[in-house]
Amino acid sequence: MSEDARDRLTELRALSEKAEAGDKEARKELRQLVRASSPEVIAEASGIARRAEWMLVKTISAGKPLMEEALQERMHQMRSQIAGENPSPLEVLLTERVVAGWLLVEVLEDLIAAQYQRDVTAHRVPPTHVIQQSRILESATRRYFAAIRELARVRKLQAGTPVQVNTQVNILQG
Amino acid sequence: MTLERRNGRLYYYRSVRAGEKVRKVYVGAGEFARICSETDILQRTGRRAQRERERAELERLEGLLAPLEEFSEAAKVLVIAHLVDGGYRKRKGEWRRARRA
Repeated sequence: MSEDARDRLTELRALSEKAEAGDKEARKELRQLVRASSPEVIAEASGIARRAEWMLVKTISAGKPLMEEALQERMHQMRSQIAGENPSPLEVLLTERVVAGWLLVEVLEDLIAAQYQRDVTAHRVPPTHVIQQSRILESATRRYFAAIRELARVRKLQAGTPVQVNTQVNILQG
Repeated sequence: MTLERRNGRLYYYRSVRAGEKVRKVYVGAGEFARICSETDILQRTGRRAQRERERAELERLEGLLAPLEEFSEAAKVLVIAHLVDGGYRKRKGEWRRARRA
C-alpha cells in the first residue's frame, strides 16, 4: 500500500476515535475525509487484495492452467453471490475480504495437508513445526470468519434490520 | 562431538548433556571412530537441512498471510470510519446508531 494511503488510513483511524468520543470537530473532518479519500483508499486496498489473490491462485494451482481457471471462476461466482445486487463500495471491499480469506484458508489447508502426504518413513514433522503451521492456519481462519461477520454487520446496519449471523464449519471425516 | 588423534590413533567422543552439565562419552577408536564421526556429521547436516526446509516453509506460509493482513487492517479502518461517519457508535462491543440530541 502506498505511503499516501497509509497516512490517510492513520488519519481516518484517529478521527474515528475522536468522533466516537464525541468530538464534533473531528466528526466534521471525518466526514470530509471519508468523502474525499474513501474511494481512492478502497481502490488501493482492493488492489492489494487482488494481487494477494493472484499470488494464492498461482500457489494452489501450481502451474496447472485448468486449476487456475477454475479457481478464478469460483472466486468470480463467490464475489457476485456475496456482494449481491448494487453493492456499496464498502460492501465490495468487504466481499473481496471474504473471498480472499476463503482462498487463503484453502491454500494453507492444502499446503499443510501436502506435508502429511509425504513419505512418513523419510521424515517425521516435529510437533513444534505442526504447532506453528496450525497457528498460521488458525489466524487465517479467524480473519476469514471476522470478514464474514463484518460484512453481515455492515449490511445489517445499512438496512436497519436485525440479522442473525451463522458460521458453518464442515468437518470431513475419514 | 570430537575426533581426537593421540599417539597416531583416532578416538571418537560424543558430548551428552545431563541437566546443566555436558559429559564427554567415549564411542570408539580407530576405523570405527572415523565411521561414527562421519555418520554423526551426516546426520547433523541432514537435521540442519531439514530445519532449514521447515523454516522456509513457515516463511512461505506467513508470506501468503501478510498481504491479506494488510488488506484486512485497511478494510477494518474504513468500515469503522464509515460507521462513525454514518452516526453509529460502539457500545459494549455492538455498533448502534447514536441518539440524536
